[in-house]
Amino acid sequence: MKQSIKKNLFVITVISAIFLLVSCGIFDNSDDNTLTIIGKKNDLEKSYIISIFDRYREATGNKLNIISFEDSEYETETLKRFQNGKGSDIFMHFHNSDLYSFDVENNFLYLNDEEWVDDLTDSARNYCTDKNGNLLGLPFWESSVSGCYYNKTLLAEMGLKPAATQAEFDVLCQAIAATGYTPICRPTVYSWMIQFAMDPIFADNPELLEKLNNNEISYSDIPEMIEMVKWVENAADKGWFGYNYTEKGWDDISDDMSSGKAVMTFIWDTWFYTDFEKGNKYSTDDFALMPVFLNTAHRGTYEGGNMNMMMVNKNSKKLDLALDFLAFCASEENYNAAFDGIPTVSCFKGQTTNIQSKQVTDAAASIAENERVSTAASRIAGYSADDVTAAFDSLFRKKTDAAGCLKLMDDYRIEKASKQEKQ
Amino acid sequence: MFMKKQIGKAWLPFSIITVSIAVIFAGITYFNFMSRRIYEDSAVQLKEIYAQVNRSFGAFVNMNWKMLESKEDFFEVTDITDNRILRDFMDNERKYWGFSEFYFISKDKTCITPAGEEGNMTFENSWDDLMEKRPVISSEIMSGQSVTVFAVPVESGEYNGFEYDAVAVSYTNEDMAASLDVDAFSGEAKCFVISDDGNILMSTQTGGNVFENYLTYLKAASDLNENDIAGIINDWRNGNSNLLRCEMGDTDYCILYQPVGYRDYILLSIVPQSVMSAGFLSVQKITMNVFAVMFIFVGTFVFSVIFIRHRKQSHKNKTELRYRERMFDVLSNSVDDIFIMLNSEDYNVDYISPNIERLLGIPVKTAIENIGVIEKCAVDSDVVISKEELEEIPLNENIYREGEYRHRNTGDCRWYKMTIYHMSILDVDKYIVVMSDRTMENQMNHKTEEALRAARSANEAKSNFLSNMSHDIRTPMNAIVGFSILLEKDADDPEKVRKYTHKITASSKHLLNLINDVLDMSKIESGKTSLNVDRFSLHELLEELKIIVSPQIKTKNQIFNVYTSDATADYIIGDKLRLNQILINLLSNATKYTPDGGEIEFIVREIPQSAPQYVKLQFVVKDNGIGMSEEFQQIIFSPFSREINSVTNTIQGTGLGMAITKNLVDLMGGIIVLQSRPGEGSTFIVELTFALAEREADKNDISPETTVDEGIMKGRNFLVAEDNELNAEILTELLAIEGAKCELAVNGEVAVEMFENSQPDYYDMIFMDLQMPVMNGYEAAGKIRKCGHPKAKTIPIAAMTANTFAEDVHNALAAGMDGHLAKPVNMDDVRKLVGKLLSDNNE
Repeated sequence: MKQSIKKNLFVITVISAIFLLVSCGIFDNSDDNTLTIIGKKNDLEKSYIISIFDRYREATGNKLNIISFEDSEYETETLKRFQNGKGSDIFMHFHNSDLYSFDVENNFLYLNDEEWVDDLTDSARNYCTDKNGNLLGLPFWESSVSGCYYNKTLLAEMGLKPAATQAEFDVLCQAIAATGYTPICRPTVYSWMIQFAMDPIFADNPELLEKLNNNEISYSDIPEMIEMVKWVENAADKGWFGYNYTEKGWDDISDDMSSGKAVMTFIWDTWFYTDFEKGNKYSTDDFALMPVFLNTAHRGTYEGGNMNMMMVNKNSKKLDLALDFLAFCASEENYNAAFDGIPTVSCFKGQTTNIQSKQVTDAAASIAENERVSTAASRIAGYSADDVTAAFDSLFRKKTDAAGCLKLMDDYRIEKASKQEKQ
Repeated sequence: MFMKKQIGKAWLPFSIITVSIAVIFAGITYFNFMSRRIYEDSAVQLKEIYAQVNRSFGAFVNMNWKMLESKEDFFEVTDITDNRILRDFMDNERKYWGFSEFYFISKDKTCITPAGEEGNMTFENSWDDLMEKRPVISSEIMSGQSVTVFAVPVESGEYNGFEYDAVAVSYTNEDMAASLDVDAFSGEAKCFVISDDGNILMSTQTGGNVFENYLTYLKAASDLNENDIAGIINDWRNGNSNLLRCEMGDTDYCILYQPVGYRDYILLSIVPQSVMSAGFLSVQKITMNVFAVMFIFVGTFVFSVIFIRHRKQSHKNKTELRYRERMFDVLSNSVDDIFIMLNSEDYNVDYISPNIERLLGIPVKTAIENIGVIEKCAVDSDVVISKEELEEIPLNENIYREGEYRHRNTGDCRWYKMTIYHMSILDVDKYIVVMSDRTMENQMNHKTEEALRAARSANEAKSNFLSNMSHDIRTPMNAIVGFSILLEKDADDPEKVRKYTHKITASSKHLLNLINDVLDMSKIESGKTSLNVDRFSLHELLEELKIIVSPQIKTKNQIFNVYTSDATADYIIGDKLRLNQILINLLSNATKYTPDGGEIEFIVREIPQSAPQYVKLQFVVKDNGIGMSEEFQQIIFSPFSREINSVTNTIQGTGLGMAITKNLVDLMGGIIVLQSRPGEGSTFIVELTFALAEREADKNDISPETTVDEGIMKGRNFLVAEDNELNAEILTELLAIEGAKCELAVNGEVAVEMFENSQPDYYDMIFMDLQMPVMNGYEAAGKIRKCGHPKAKTIPIAAMTANTFAEDVHNALAAGMDGHLAKPVNMDDVRKLVGKLLSDNNE
């Protein structure tokens, strides 16, 4: 009996030891051929992401340990991991202001000298570059061009042409409004579109961005910001956003554009493939692209894609393996395979298998001339699209004026930046 | 009058409304007229301006073409293969003319600048003209920028290996806009050069142009209908000019178009109407403002005048109202009517006269707060009017109630007539309550009713009196008349004559007593009775009474007990005659209504009282006779009241005795009390107060012991003044029976003459009637006493008259007469008086 008990205890001990060793091996990444990647659950489910990961596994025989988080907890949970020295080898992040809560310089590797860098489009590269020009990650994402998408059929029926300048845009809005149509479909709750107008201010004037982030100036000190808010307020008062825009939501953009109630909206091209629902009157083919005019750029502006990028943990023990992984993803063969048939603006110059929207293709010359990298969202410390929306909601509901709107934007921004700084 | 007031009241608002409508109508008419004129003038101005613009643009186009044509000469004489020379030349030309670039154009639409930059032009719709050697204008996009190109055909040439057949200059849209722009209209005017299908070739649109086809835009944005658009298309195709108005958005625009003069080009200008007419509108606005200010000023003035007048009138009305209210308050305070105004909706008090506090003891404030407090003052709840009753009062009708209300403080009850009117005052339903104090009226009514009842009672009494009198007079008269007839018939039978005569005499006496009582009663009730107050002896009066009533008592064998020992007073002051009458009536009744053998007590005693100079006497007449019922006791002192039963029916009486007795007692300030039971007898108690007097002999006192000399009359000669022949005859005969004779005088005057002419002692005495023609008895007596006849002062004069009242006796004595005899003549009385007077005269 005693023998039997001893034998059983031995077996249990051995199994426990094996389990412990295996477990330690997994969490310590002690396997040289396994890379740990952290990303948002939804992002990791994109077909081109799954495709490139599979191709990597197949091609290299290496393993990928994928850790995912829900959107709501992503920033806090991943920040904890990096602060505790448990960051993953590869870290996926949209280059917004939240990234600067992480100690970027000490946690992530600058990728300026990688071979694949030259293959990046200017837009993609700029998006992934910090204020000092250091490339923070590999842009591997579906991209789009944000601009003013207009119903060209309707415009032609009105005897109107797209605007090429801010002055023309003003005349265009006035002329459309005179016909009884809503010139711009722009629900209040999507005031993040304002960031399109802020790109020219801060992308064209990096010193302003620096002063703003250093709290040397505020939005209210920037004349272009003041003019922009006044223009938006004036446009609202003139009815250029329609007359119930404060009550409209996301789905209304599609409804109003497809029905022809509204003629223009500030959106991105892939929206026509993901959210636009063809109406009785108008389909995607009826729409064309011109720059966004929000009184901050004479010839308007386009905002480059907001992309997810793959960053390399500077403190990873598998630095080389991680860099190899990025190189694998950035190879022409692999990204073309991954993005085959995906409607997106190209991130790589050699990207050929993706689908380019007709709107972007037709406006290629104008985009090339007037596109700016998404600056406000990614470069302004403490910037929050929700906060901007809240400030403009107060403006549209006449709870405050233009100056008050800017002050609210400043207050929200500074508060959030302070929190990020503490973290 | 009412109509005039109504019209007067309506005149003011009617006038204000009429004037206001007239002013507004005039303003609108003026505004429309001015707007039309302004539009017309503005349109003329607009046409003139853009005709000038059109000419300027045409000149600009022609100048460019001529400038280009002139270059052909330059190219002929200049070595344009030297790029530097050409570039310098063109730079100078560009600065001078203001174009942006110069082009050589080949037949394949390619072009090259002097700097060698190559490009392509489209010359849509104009290439053929150019190839046919006509200058053209074309909209092109060069180097990504929209430009307007002026091109002219030239002799074929070559520039740096580029073969050209035409040359051109380009202007940016901004430069072209400058050639079309005008300073007028505050920069709000837009000018376009369009083709006849509406495509925009160039415009003055700030910052560029978003209008691709203006006709299409007009269709989409303006309120122009299909006919309007068709008209425009027709005009454009036919090169017509026109000015039209349309609305785009919320703005009215004026659109002017006119042919440029080149190909199908049209100069189209669009101006907001408000801007186009701004200058005129400014004038109109000023004019309107002036009018408005004037209207406001005049209106304010008129309003002020009206307001002041209204205020004065209102003040006057308010003052009048206050005066009226004050007067009403004063008035209501001075009258005993309470006025209340109630709201018919909630019964709240709108007004209540302040005299309510005086009349009902209710403070005005209390009454206003709770009108129901008045109801609590009502003595009888029947007088309270409920809300339901109020609601049932028709409009302009009224109801009323009467009743007693008690003063809250004093408890005094007063009679109010409450009248409630339901009426509409200023279109508001109201109840007006008037509470009128009718206490006096109510009392008057009661008194009137009582007086009426009394009158009826008196009338009834009179009827009863007449009935009684008729019976009581006719009864003895029947006996007198009947026995007189029998007397005449049986005149030869002495026995029957005596019997008849005796009965006639008895009936006559009864009739005489009846007449005396009636007259006495009448005089007492009429208030003409006065007491003949004099000093007399109580004991003498009592003795006389015994003598007077003794015969009757003896006749009925009654026991008569007199107790006077308690009456110690002797001489007292009073009306002996009336006291005698009272006591005789009582004793006579006692005798009459006490059966034979009955007992009668007469008690006189003094009742203690505080004043020593007075004596209060109690006279008690008590019998054990038939007594009387309680019912009769209640009316015994009323005239003509006699208890009817088997006993009383046999007893003669007038029914006036006790009434006279009661009235005399009252007249003397005493009381009379009756105690009686049927079958047990009656007791009358009379209490009278007299002043005490000293004892003094009085020669005028007729001693009860005086005896009458039966022969006193015999041989006497009397002067009789009597106007009535019958009475004179009766007296003559009666005197003759007594053995005396008389001489008759038909009136007082004759009597005086006869006495004056008589010898002294010719007449023993004079009997003087008082009421006679020519001279009455009083005057005659006076003259006799004053005449010079030796016996004028002493001859006895006795009044012999039917005037039998005490004052008649008094007046006769006052006139100088010595005695009084009442008619009908009682010879016993005559004998007594004659004996007395002649005896006195002799003394």
